[in-house]
This record gives sequence, structure tokens and C-alpha cells, in this order.
Amino acid sequence: MGDDIMNYNGGVAVAMKGKECVAIACDKRYGVQNKTIATNFTKIYQYGDYCFVAFCGLATDVQTVAQRLKFRTNLYELREQRKLKPNVLYNMLTNLLYERRFGPYFIFTLVIGLDPKTGETFVYDSDNIGAVSDNVNLATVGTASDYIFGLGELFFKPNMNPDELFEATSQSLLNGVDRDSASGWGAVVYVVEKDKVTVRELKGRQD
Amino acid sequence: MARRYDTRATIFSPEGRILAENGVVLAGEKRNVSPLLDDVKYSEKIYKIHDDLCCSVSGITSDANVLINELRMIGQRYLLTYQEPAPIEYIVSRLCNIKQAYTQFGGKRPFGVSFLYMGWDKHYGYQLYQSDPSGNFGGWKATCVGHNSQTAISILKQEYKIGETQLNDALRLAIRVFSKTLDTTKLTPEKIEIAVLQHDDKTNQTTIRMLKDEELTTLIKQYEEEQSKLEADRQKQQQTTEKDKK
Repeated sequence: MGDDIMNYNGGVAVAMKGKECVAIACDKRYGVQNKTIATNFTKIYQYGDYCFVAFCGLATDVQTVAQRLKFRTNLYELREQRKLKPNVLYNMLTNLLYERRFGPYFIFTLVIGLDPKTGETFVYDSDNIGAVSDNVNLATVGTASDYIFGLGELFFKPNMNPDELFEATSQSLLNGVDRDSASGWGAVVYVVEKDKVTVRELKGRQD
Repeated sequence: MARRYDTRATIFSPEGRILAENGVVLAGEKRNVSPLLDDVKYSEKIYKIHDDLCCSVSGITSDANVLINELRMIGQRYLLTYQEPAPIEYIVSRLCNIKQAYTQFGGKRPFGVSFLYMGWDKHYGYQLYQSDPSGNFGGWKATCVGHNSQTAISILKQEYKIGETQLNDALRLAIRVFSKTLDTTKLTPEKIEIAVLQHDDKTNQTTIRMLKDEELTTLIKQYEEEQSKLEADRQKQQQTTEKDKK
């Protein structure tokens, strides 16, 4: 168990698309192997008004990559004098990860975003060396990702409205983490729409 | 520690900066050298370094761009290491060390740029710094750099009230200094740009904003009204003294 670095701290995140809205959710557990240390460790970070990234894997890398990405996005916004778009953020992140191709960060990532003018939605995921994916409907990373994928495929419908999207995302996450000992202890869900972002905290099984 | 010495005015395009009790005001002259020059969407004088610090430039623009980039990198490196915004003096000091190195080592020429920095941090509140090509810098309550800066500084010395200047006083003072030092006869919103930095203690957010043309027009009109009133009073005074003489 000690040599599976991706399962050392645990944690999971899921992202789903709706009609002109996207949702991203993560659990709140921070543990060291089978010991739970904290229940307020969220893995989602905001990089712009409509761009969110979730990092799952080794906790120290979650924090470091989040901070290093912030360094680069801050400079981008200062130099370009405009906010980041989701696909640009995604490319910056995968570039950052590939720079460490032969000594990688132990995290898998999810990037979501929305274009407030057109309502176009973006959901991307990446492995720990920056492999890019297409703009998908559903993506999951973390120790419980296999379980959540199954539930997500079941609950996903195309063109959901924000409330349906919230329900689908939350149920996939909460029921998926119940099958995984390294995830859980509550969840946070962000639903991003054209005019607002809603954050909700969920209380699931506290184990 | 702010290093101080007798600073001479450097002959670049002018700007002044004033520290107020609840903010910092920066005013700069816009030089539209040719009507054929393409419009820029952003300011060509005032640059944001990080959320709580911005600076304005006097001198060679290409040199300035290199240094602005370096200032931003210094700010971000501090933020990455310590996860809190860099103090203003730290950033100014680091950049000035770089500027100084170019005056002593390598056979390279110094950067032909003077900066005026305005910012807020949690250690010393609102601050105003000036740096020049030698790498020397100082902290100021009100200062001016560029063309006619001696005139401007003497006006500031008389009019700026330490410990009492509020933001709108500082804005009025800036307009006043400009109307006395600019080459042109009449002050219009196209010729100047003013930025204001304010920190909201409740939300812990700093806003840096450029004054819009309407606000500039209002300020200029207020100043002109004050001036015409003073002129009218003076004329009345003169008439009464002449009458007394008779």
C-alpha cells in the first residue's frame, strides 16, 4: 500500500456538462493511507471567473501544482491584460506537467470552464504527465474514479439544466465515494452558469 | 530602508504622484506624438505589477518593458514562496538592485527608466516610491518626475498637507499641478490620465482604477471654476485698492 503514491492521500473529483452550465465536485478527505487527518481538504481551485481546476493525487503535489499554476496564470493576466480562457488554462497546465515528464507530479487533473458570452462549455481531464483529452461530457479523477465513472454515465443526460446537473454530479460523487475507503467525508460542488457560480457543500456518509 | 539622496529631475515626460490618507493618486501626461499612432487599449504609462502595486514609467519604453516584466516576476516569486502578497519595498528594492548592477558590472549601459511606484501592503499601508536609472530609490509623500518637475515639486511642497490630505484633495492637487506645469495652455481629459489606488480594509481588496473622461472633465471644470473665482476676487481687490488710492 505504501508504494501506490496515487492512493497515499486519497481523494476524488468529477466534472459534468450541462446546457450552458458545467459542474465540478470533489470530496474533502485528507488522509495518510488508512488514517483520516482532515475533512476540509478541497481539491478545486479557481483560476478566473469561469475556470476551475481540480487536482487529485498526492496532496503535496496538489498544493504545489495549484500554486505554480497560479504563478503562471497571474503573469499571463498581467501581461495580456485579460482573463484566461478555459482551453488556454488547460494547455498551460498540461505544459507545466509535461515539463516534469521524467520526474512527474503525482496528480491527475480536471479543468472546467464556461464562455460567458457564448455559453460554450469545456470539460477536460489530464493524466500526470499532461496528456490532453477532448472536450468531454463527463470526466473523473482520483481513487474512486472508476466507481464514479459508472454512476456518471448512468446519471448523465445531454443538455441538463443547472439543477439537474447539480443532482447528477452530486449523486455520482456521493455514491461513488461510498465504495472507496480513501475518499469521502463530505463534498463540495461548484455549478458554473453564464451569470453566476453556485457553491454547495454536501454532507454524505462521514466515513 | 529607503535610501535617500538629493534627486535631480530627469527629463522625461512628466508625471506626479501624491499620497493621501486613504489612497494614492498618480497622474501622468499623455503624449500623443503623432495622430497616426495606433490607439492602445491599455495605458502606455501605468502598469499593474500585482494586485496591490502599480507603477508608472518615465523614459525609454523598451527598457521599461523589460523592467516591468522583471517587477512582475519578482512579485510572483515572492507570492509562490510565501503565499502572501509581496511587500512594496521588497519589490522596489530588488528591482533597484538589478538597476544598480548595470551601473557597476558588465560594461552594459544602465536602464534609461525612472519609475514611480504606488501601492498598499499590510506592513506600512499606502506607499509611494520613486526610483531612477542609478538604482537609488526613496519613499515619498508626494513627488514628481519628468519635464518641469521642479515647478511641480515646489507647488507640492507648498500645497500638500502632511497627515491631512484625503483622496479628493489629492486629486484636486494633481490637476492643479498639471495645469501649472504642462506646456499646453488648456487642460483637457485627452492630455492626462489619472489612476487611483485604494484598499478596502473590510474586503481586503485593493482596487486600482483609471479615472474616466467624465470624471476628469468634472475635476478640470472644478479647478477652472476655483481659478476664475480667485481671479474675480483678485480683480475686485485691485479695483477697491485703486478706488482707495483715488
